[in-house]
Amino acid sequence: MSWGDALAIVGGLVAGVISGTMGVGGGVVFVPFMTTGYRFTQTLAQGTSLAAIVPTAVVGGFTHIRQGNVLRDAAIWMGAGGLGGAVVGAVVAVHAPSGILARLFALFLFANAFVLVRSALADRTGKPAAP
Amino acid sequence: MSRRQRFATIGFLGGLMGGLLGVGGGLVMVPLQVVWAGMTQKQANATSLVAIIPIAIAALPIYYFHAERPQVDLHMALFLVIGSVVGAYAGARLLKLIPERILKMLVAAMLVLVGIKEVIAP
Repeated sequence: MSWGDALAIVGGLVAGVISGTMGVGGGVVFVPFMTTGYRFTQTLAQGTSLAAIVPTAVVGGFTHIRQGNVLRDAAIWMGAGGLGGAVVGAVVAVHAPSGILARLFALFLFANAFVLVRSALADRTGKPAAP
Repeated sequence: MSRRQRFATIGFLGGLMGGLLGVGGGLVMVPLQVVWAGMTQKQANATSLVAIIPIAIAALPIYYFHAERPQVDLHMALFLVIGSVVGAYAGARLLKLIPERILKMLVAAMLVLVGIKEVIAP
């Protein structure tokens, strides 16, 4: 195991803590971690992030199924629709210039920051956390 | 629009974002499930996590096979997963001890800074 691998574990750790406690996904941390820390291109960081999301979502998803929080019908139809959307999105992504993808990703980061601020402010007033 | 069509549309939008940006798509699916399908926040979070499984699995081979070179670093992904599994577990246990509001603000500020950097020098 190299220093690079050890750093990757630390990055994953940070992503895990943030997604486990704040309700945002792991990709929010994974992708910028790889583009800034390892100089990955935006496309390579995004593909690698998806690979890291699969096992994480499988473990988390099955835990929620066992706890009875998942609406079966909704999950099945969302998954079916998601399959189609994911193929379209990924085909566009692998052919898009890395610079444009990075800027689109910046919008995604701003949106996540907005969600976090809104939920932090909601905590203060005692209202339920925002989605 | 029937309920099933509604869920399929929510999934499609989540998948589109997930595939395009290499993320799960929960950012669009969770609020849509709450406002458009009347689900509780807890149900929406859990159900979207399950829908993310096919989204990530469908997008992955396209990043691997459809580009000129494979755009997936499996070695890096493995170490990220090791860290994030431990982090998610630790985070859930530490939830009551951490000042959540301040941390959320800090993470939000960090995301904005990284976003600005991506816009200026992608």
